[in-house]
Amino acid sequence: MHDRDRTLIDASAPPQGAPDANPDRALASALRALPDAAPQPDLWPGLARTLAARRRPRVWRYALPAALAAGVLVALLLPRATTSPPAPVAGTSLPKAVPDIPVQAANDELDALRSRSQTLERWVAAVAAHAPQSSRDLMAAVEVEDLIGLVDVQLGATRDRTDALPLWRQRVALLEDLATIRGSAFAIAASDVGTIGVDNSFNRIN
Amino acid sequence: MSAISFQIEIPDTVLARARRGETGALEQIYRAFERPAFTLALRMLGDAEHARETVHDAMLHVLERVDQFRGESPFWGWLRQIVVNQALMRLRKERGVVLEELPDDDETQGNAPPPWAFADTRHLEHALARLPALTRSVLWLYHVEDYTHQEIAQLTGKSVSFSKSQVARGSSRLRDLLEPSQEEAAPCMTATAH
Repeated sequence: MHDRDRTLIDASAPPQGAPDANPDRALASALRALPDAAPQPDLWPGLARTLAARRRPRVWRYALPAALAAGVLVALLLPRATTSPPAPVAGTSLPKAVPDIPVQAANDELDALRSRSQTLERWVAAVAAHAPQSSRDLMAAVEVEDLIGLVDVQLGATRDRTDALPLWRQRVALLEDLATIRGSAFAIAASDVGTIGVDNSFNRIN
Repeated sequence: MSAISFQIEIPDTVLARARRGETGALEQIYRAFERPAFTLALRMLGDAEHARETVHDAMLHVLERVDQFRGESPFWGWLRQIVVNQALMRLRKERGVVLEELPDDDETQGNAPPPWAFADTRHLEHALARLPALTRSVLWLYHVEDYTHQEIAQLTGKSVSFSKSQVARGSSRLRDLLEPSQEEAAPCMTATAH
């Protein structure tokens, strides 16, 4: 503003308290004296939500390569771990190779975990669409979702159901965390406005 | 509270934290500028809801791109420029490319103090609201935000003389709107006649 092109003659400034006869200066002064205002309602909560949501792809920019690297590492190490049994100790008989979990039991648990995972995902998606989120909850939810993404990448690299079992357990645990985060916002929203427009089935996870 | 200045210095430490995406620092920046930004948008647009949306969009733009701020000019200047651009974009979008302008007026000014020197806040706000949006915006940018005619010409995509004429015509129209009408003035003239 150094090349300001209006002419204000400071020497002609009126005595304090007297009206200014210089129209430009008087108008500037009158306009500046008008009251200021703040946006109502507060814009910040919405801005914080939008900023958090838009930052999520940035997280993925780093999380996805890291997850892929972890997945590749798992894929490389798992076959070695399963094909290299420990050397037998002299004088002891080699125990029969019995898996920790019987195959049928593992299959049953895996099916149950997958079913639980689907139910949780549907519930979380439905609640997220109806309940407002605080920026803090939203950040926490984004972090958990990123962790679920990491597990999914590792699941993609597993070859058999037994290897997938601990990952599915982890996935369900993370989804339960996510449901808790989303659910708290839902409970608050529901207590404020009732459950209008929200299917009753959203109130139960199972 | 009178129109507060945009010229707020944000500490480098806050800017550094904001560049790292720290929510607390982003909120600090938002809180520092929410009033001057909203007041500017409100005066330019003349509508609280439009001003709110404009500030939302401008702040989102600023807070998402704070890492792109190079620090060659004051932060407040960068932020204010974005608010002004958003407001002008909205004016163009809502009123079309051709914005209404005031016709030429006779600038009959005596030596008496101008009417806004005595006008109360309500009357001045009311008169300001009756100006065409672009005229009001130019008047506000020039008189309150201290933009030069050159800068206003660049912002609006018009000429320097356009900016000058808008300030002159806007002032003249404000004078008309604030000066008492003939009917109101008549008794006073009678009373003071000798």
